[in-house]
Amino acid sequence: MVLSRFWYVLLGLFLGLSVFLLSIATSMYNRAGARAMGEALSSDSQVVAWYLRDDARQRSGRLIQFGVDPDIAKYLQKSSDSEAKVPEDAREKLLSALKKVSASIPKDEQFDAVFAVDQAGRVVAHLGYEQASGLSDFELGGYPVVADALRGYVRDDTLILDRIYRVVARPVEYEMSSLPAGAIIGARIVDDRFARELSSRTGAAIAFYANGERASSGAPEGFAVGNLDQIVGDMSSLEQDPEYKDKGRSKVRTIGGMLGVQYSRLPGEAWQLGGGFAVARMPVAVDGLFGFFKTADDKDKQQAKLPLAILVAIAAAAIGILFSVFEHTRPIAIFKNEAQRLAKGQTDQLQPSRFRGVFRKIASDLNDGMDQVMAKGGGPRRGPADMKQVLGDIPDQPQMSAFSFPGDPSSMSSPSSGQMPPRSAPNAPANPKLPRPPGRPGSPTAMLDSTLSSEESSAARRLPTPPMRGGIDHGAAAELAEWHAVFQDFVGLKQQCGESTDGFSYEKFEQTLKKKNEELLTRHGAKRVKFSVYVKEGKAALKASPIME
Amino acid sequence: MNARYNPSGFSRLVGLRRRSWPLLLAAGFVALPGSADAARVKGRFEGFRALQNPVWAEAKDPKNHGYSFREPVPTVRAEFRRPFPHIPKELCMAAIATGPQKAQPPVLIRVGGGRTTPVTIVVTPGTRLTFQNTDPFKHKLFGVGIKTFAPGDTGPGATRDWSVPGAGVFEIRDEAAPSLRMWIVSEPNVAQVAYPSMKGEFSLNVQEPGDYVLQAYFAGKKVGPATPVTVAAADIELMVPVKVNDASLTAAAAADDKAKAADPATEPKEGAK
Repeated sequence: MVLSRFWYVLLGLFLGLSVFLLSIATSMYNRAGARAMGEALSSDSQVVAWYLRDDARQRSGRLIQFGVDPDIAKYLQKSSDSEAKVPEDAREKLLSALKKVSASIPKDEQFDAVFAVDQAGRVVAHLGYEQASGLSDFELGGYPVVADALRGYVRDDTLILDRIYRVVARPVEYEMSSLPAGAIIGARIVDDRFARELSSRTGAAIAFYANGERASSGAPEGFAVGNLDQIVGDMSSLEQDPEYKDKGRSKVRTIGGMLGVQYSRLPGEAWQLGGGFAVARMPVAVDGLFGFFKTADDKDKQQAKLPLAILVAIAAAAIGILFSVFEHTRPIAIFKNEAQRLAKGQTDQLQPSRFRGVFRKIASDLNDGMDQVMAKGGGPRRGPADMKQVLGDIPDQPQMSAFSFPGDPSSMSSPSSGQMPPRSAPNAPANPKLPRPPGRPGSPTAMLDSTLSSEESSAARRLPTPPMRGGIDHGAAAELAEWHAVFQDFVGLKQQCGESTDGFSYEKFEQTLKKKNEELLTRHGAKRVKFSVYVKEGKAALKASPIME
Repeated sequence: MNARYNPSGFSRLVGLRRRSWPLLLAAGFVALPGSADAARVKGRFEGFRALQNPVWAEAKDPKNHGYSFREPVPTVRAEFRRPFPHIPKELCMAAIATGPQKAQPPVLIRVGGGRTTPVTIVVTPGTRLTFQNTDPFKHKLFGVGIKTFAPGDTGPGATRDWSVPGAGVFEIRDEAAPSLRMWIVSEPNVAQVAYPSMKGEFSLNVQEPGDYVLQAYFAGKKVGPATPVTVAAADIELMVPVKVNDASLTAAAAADDKAKAADPATEPKEGAK
């Protein structure tokens, strides 16, 4: 069993090691995933910021088309010259000019809203900002981006009005020697369409927020946009992040353990108003030892060394089975065979040399035990029927008219006190002082004879000897041999009890046994009937035990 | 001598708010003459392009993250590339009488376009100001350090009233628009206020004859020299332009501080600077 046990210990250690390694791998994988997510989020945040700046620059170039339009410059100058009121014809002409120029810009580069502002900051005409329709005194001159444009700068800004707007502005010149005639302002609404466009170009999941609410969002395929709603609950603590407060970009934050987010402020007025954008990613992590199975995709599974794993499993199982067969199944089978041989009488004792390990010791102990029993004159047999109960007293020869056996209610009464335990035929006493029963054929008789003195042997020879019959099969011969042994035991026990054996012949004894044997076999369907002798109330008695196996 | 605002009062101002306000500003008046005895004091500002709108000056500082790029257009002359104020709204000339003036009628303040109109105003204590939102989105005005003017929403077209509690300078801001800053100078002796044209020309309608001091205000502070005038029946035209620039602002502020130090009885109200 040493190899098997060693193998069990080895398998246990291997299993423990596997769990340990899986735990380490899970931790390392999650840590690496978190680090990679942080780096990716920082990259996303940078990319989005660069995109916003680059987009603003490119769109400011588009404003030149408005600035060089002669009607726009002319009528803006006309409006600036009229301090009291914006001339109506200037409004109409400018609106037409704005529409014309806007239509000439490729659709994906067009502005959502365009404003023509005179030097006083008044909006002379606008396109795409319907909220201001009908407001004759609508102006934008107070915003730094417009004021800068009116003073000769081109720049961008992010305004939070009714919505978030990315704004670019540049001056419109009419006469080189004077102040710009006005400014042209282009705005893009930061809505879901803008966020989706930005997401498709940067590959990041983006949400814009203002006033503590998510304003718009967009995400690449495979990322649920609804996850971005979680930033609303997280923003309350955002101002406590010193990096966000000072540098405008937060550390990577994890919301609910399942969403990595980095916040960035938007440049412009939105910076002061708490407006910004958040980029988000789902962390690549496994949620347990077996999380790898859920996380792995088909490609991962294809790359896994499945044949090697199967080979290792088969080899481990084969080694275990081999050890088990070698150390368990095979010795037991040998022991079983030897025990069966012993039971059949094919051998007198177990052969310890044929066994290994503990079985050798067991065989040796069994042999010693049997020797001890033999030395004490044999042990009691268990479970046989009480012949005395069945037959009554058998003074000269056994009365086999009624046998007792297990299961027969009529014979279930236990033997009375003083009753000796039954003795099996093989363990028949060999008291040298008693007359020997008739000899039995084969070695048992010979063995018994060899233990008797010459006088005892002659006394035994005076007893009737059961004749041997030819032409019987091996099973019948074994049964007759057993009956002979029982007869000898019975005669010996009668002599031991001081009963007379005169006139007690084997033939009568055999007839009685045969009759009862057939009767019991018929009644109980037993395979055979085993007879044994015992002492009951100081007299020899027989018991019949049906053997069902 | 007391200045007399339009006797029709607040309702008249509200009724005129959209059609007449630009016209009034262009004409250089906040108050309308109510008497045939009114005399005009005309003058002209000079050097106002040296002034800097504090909001725009702050916004151009890269540290404030007001933009991702800001570049000059080379075809615009360098002298124009400065954050000088839009003086018709930001610079005003006040006629200060020798004695306290009575409380003025309500004054309409337009809120829109990232600023108020006017940006700086000089009124007597107790004057009620009506802030009207002319933008198509809400504003959230509040007085800096003024408990009686806490942040509150003002929807599109809606108005909000506030009375100047006492003498001093009060600043109004907007939580929804950082560029919006307004200064209210509460001066008990102010009789009349006028705003200049784009060229710097102004005209004050003084109702009562007497001695006055003309003082320019910008971003809640005095700029330029204090000019004494005696108003009689005839119009007066100042022959010397009133110089207002950063240097004059510094000098006027220093003189103001000196005067306040000499008069310990002057106690500014809550929120006043």
